[in-house]
Amino acid sequence: MDISLRINGEECALSVPASRTLLEALRDDMALTGAKNACNQGVCGSCTVLVDGMPVNACLVLAVNVTGRDITTIEGLGEGGELSVVQQAFVDAGAIQCGFCMSGMIVSATAFLAHNPMPSRDEIRTALSGNLCRCSGYVRVFDAVALAAQRLSP
Amino acid sequence: MDFYQPTSLDAALALLAADPEALPLAGGATLVAMMNADLVEPSALVSLRDVAELQTIEAAADGGFRIGAMISHAALADEARLGGGNEVVRQAAARIAHPQVRNIGTLGGAVAHGDPSSDLPAALVAADAAIEIAGPAARRVVAAENFFEDYLTTALKPGEMVSAITLPVQPEGAVGHYEKFARVHGGYATLSVAVVLAMAGGECSHVRVALGAAGATPVRVDAAEARLLGSVLDADAVRDAAAILAEASDPIDDVRGSAEYRLMLVPRLLGRALAAAEGGA
Repeated sequence: MDISLRINGEECALSVPASRTLLEALRDDMALTGAKNACNQGVCGSCTVLVDGMPVNACLVLAVNVTGRDITTIEGLGEGGELSVVQQAFVDAGAIQCGFCMSGMIVSATAFLAHNPMPSRDEIRTALSGNLCRCSGYVRVFDAVALAAQRLSP
Repeated sequence: MDFYQPTSLDAALALLAADPEALPLAGGATLVAMMNADLVEPSALVSLRDVAELQTIEAAADGGFRIGAMISHAALADEARLGGGNEVVRQAAARIAHPQVRNIGTLGGAVAHGDPSSDLPAALVAADAAIEIAGPAARRVVAAENFFEDYLTTALKPGEMVSAITLPVQPEGAVGHYEKFARVHGGYATLSVAVVLAMAGGECSHVRVALGAAGATPVRVDAAEARLLGSVLDADAVRDAAAILAEASDPIDDVRGSAEYRLMLVPRLLGRALAAAEGGA
């Protein structure tokens, strides 16, 4: 099926089978491999992308069902080769271990901070509850989100 | 696999009627996960994404609500008008999985799936909700209590789908509360208790209680509520009501807890749920 959608600000036309997930379309058709495929069941959050600004598990979304939508992946967060504030905060807080869950963590955190710019620690934990880290490095992830919130505050 | 994106409910029903192996696609939170695991292989999907009539929340003039099947869990959890007794449904929606799943999953999808470990069925039974069903021949309404027939089995017949949920006017002063015990935040419930409670002069004047993950369908027992009605929700009344509910429960052993453990949770969670509701009533 022919579909068109906007990915990281660019109009994209794709031809995909109806059963192809958005995650597969991003990784295999668009070579955007930042979103990871781990559980493929909507449990781990490593495939998190934004659809019209809302975080979703790309493995649970069919590409044909997001025609006309605006998709943002980890690749679309920075501008002009620079890391976004949230990405830089994850680096500076030492939140990154093996890195596999990081795309999803950072995309989730970006969407969360956009509508809750001054979150409590508990709110950060809840917002990232859908992103699993098998290194179990959550403390510095929460530190990173708090740091990003601080840097983003006016 | 074919894919259709109709813009009206009638068109969607006609597409489903034309192909018995086709399935309606709501959010996909469960259906796409099942497709990814090769558990289902529909011949076609009929996407409900662009069916506008399934996407609204209407406050009825009498104080009840009609909630379209395509309303996401996130939207339901954010619906500030769902207060009083109907708050139980809002709270249950807020406890479903995680933000990413709540943005995808829908009320109608969760109801049609009929998973007794999921959060909405027990809350809808406690709220005495009704399920609106649209089919090729007719529209009909089934009480939530009668809709869930068995594990993953509902009153839906081939070609039918859930089109909306209606929530009734709750008694004056009623408060809803959804108490969920899960191993991890956002996990499926080991056991959950949904309650709608009203107090008058210190005594229970209205109560509906439904257990989730306690059997193949939500567990609700008239006698348990009768034991609580008129009481001051003292420890004896709560213990007796919990015993009646536990007797009617038939939970399974799984990774979220043994059947024995689930039954032990019934009095504890019922007590917590009633106390929380009473605190707000």
